[in-house]
Amino acid sequence: MESIAVGIGLAVGIAGLGVGIGQGLAANGGLQGMARQPEAAKQINNSMLLALVFLELVFLLTFVLGFLLMGKIH
Amino acid sequence: MGLLLHSNLPLAAAAEGEGIGWNIFFYTGLTIAVVLGFAALARKGLNARVYTSLPSRLAEHLYLFLEGMTVNVIGPQGKKYVPFLLALWSFIFVGNIMGLLLAATPTADWSLNISMAIITVVYVQYEGIKQNGVLGHIKHFAGPRLGGAMVIISGLIFVVEIVSECMKLVSLSLRLYGNIEGGHIVRTSLDSIIAGIPIGGILLPIKFFTCIIQAFVWTILTCTYLSIATSHGDEGEHHEAHGDHEQHPAVIAAHA
Repeated sequence: MESIAVGIGLAVGIAGLGVGIGQGLAANGGLQGMARQPEAAKQINNSMLLALVFLELVFLLTFVLGFLLMGKIH
Repeated sequence: MGLLLHSNLPLAAAAEGEGIGWNIFFYTGLTIAVVLGFAALARKGLNARVYTSLPSRLAEHLYLFLEGMTVNVIGPQGKKYVPFLLALWSFIFVGNIMGLLLAATPTADWSLNISMAIITVVYVQYEGIKQNGVLGHIKHFAGPRLGGAMVIISGLIFVVEIVSECMKLVSLSLRLYGNIEGGHIVRTSLDSIIAGIPIGGILLPIKFFTCIIQAFVWTILTCTYLSIATSHGDEGEHHEAHGDHEQHPAVIAAHA
């Protein structure tokens, strides 16, 4: 039982770490692009948001997995 | 901690007799009532020569914002999808906001989200078939036209595309569910640190931001799916000829 709890904590923590780094990189690229080419800001903004959304899904899958595992702790 | 220990996932919760349960009908109805009431108020102001009533002006700004996004992603021919996207946006936004003010929210329940995702994906398929015909729509799953022995690759692309089409249901619904329900769980667990003091209230601004972003994300993804499904008509060659197909947001989504 304790191992499941530790596993959930580790899974969500590590997923948060990875997705944080990944989203930071994506936002970095997008914002730099927007600063260099303000006239293309709208298109870059849309593409960056899409990239962020798909990165976020990785974390959410871990989150739901954690939920499912949480049902096993009693 | 006690709050966190039993599963809050709707399916598991339904088995244990917990979760939002039958209340979802009440909250969904309330959301629809708020959206329709706002629409009726906004419509009342349309008769004036200049829009002076506040609901009309808010609705106008919302419409222009969504129309700008749609034209940006799909192109000028995407304007006919704006009513559908506006309905999605307002329903999701009002549903999310309900979670900040009331005890429960319909969008934090996976069953409502998956039904909205089914509506979205089926509508996208319908529009794709309407634009390209049944054969053309099926053909576009196979990717670009490859000659000779590369037909095998086309078959593989076809299978992958079908799987990704089904995954759209899961990803759309889980994204909204995870974001909204996750925020609730963090708030309730923060509240339970000290009994009687709602510390979780400090999260309300960022939760409000999440509500807007999630409604926006659902609509922009629908836009992207629509632009992929309908782009192989007359405009397809036009885009490729100008070489701006690589920067198209739809392409990123197709590879993700």
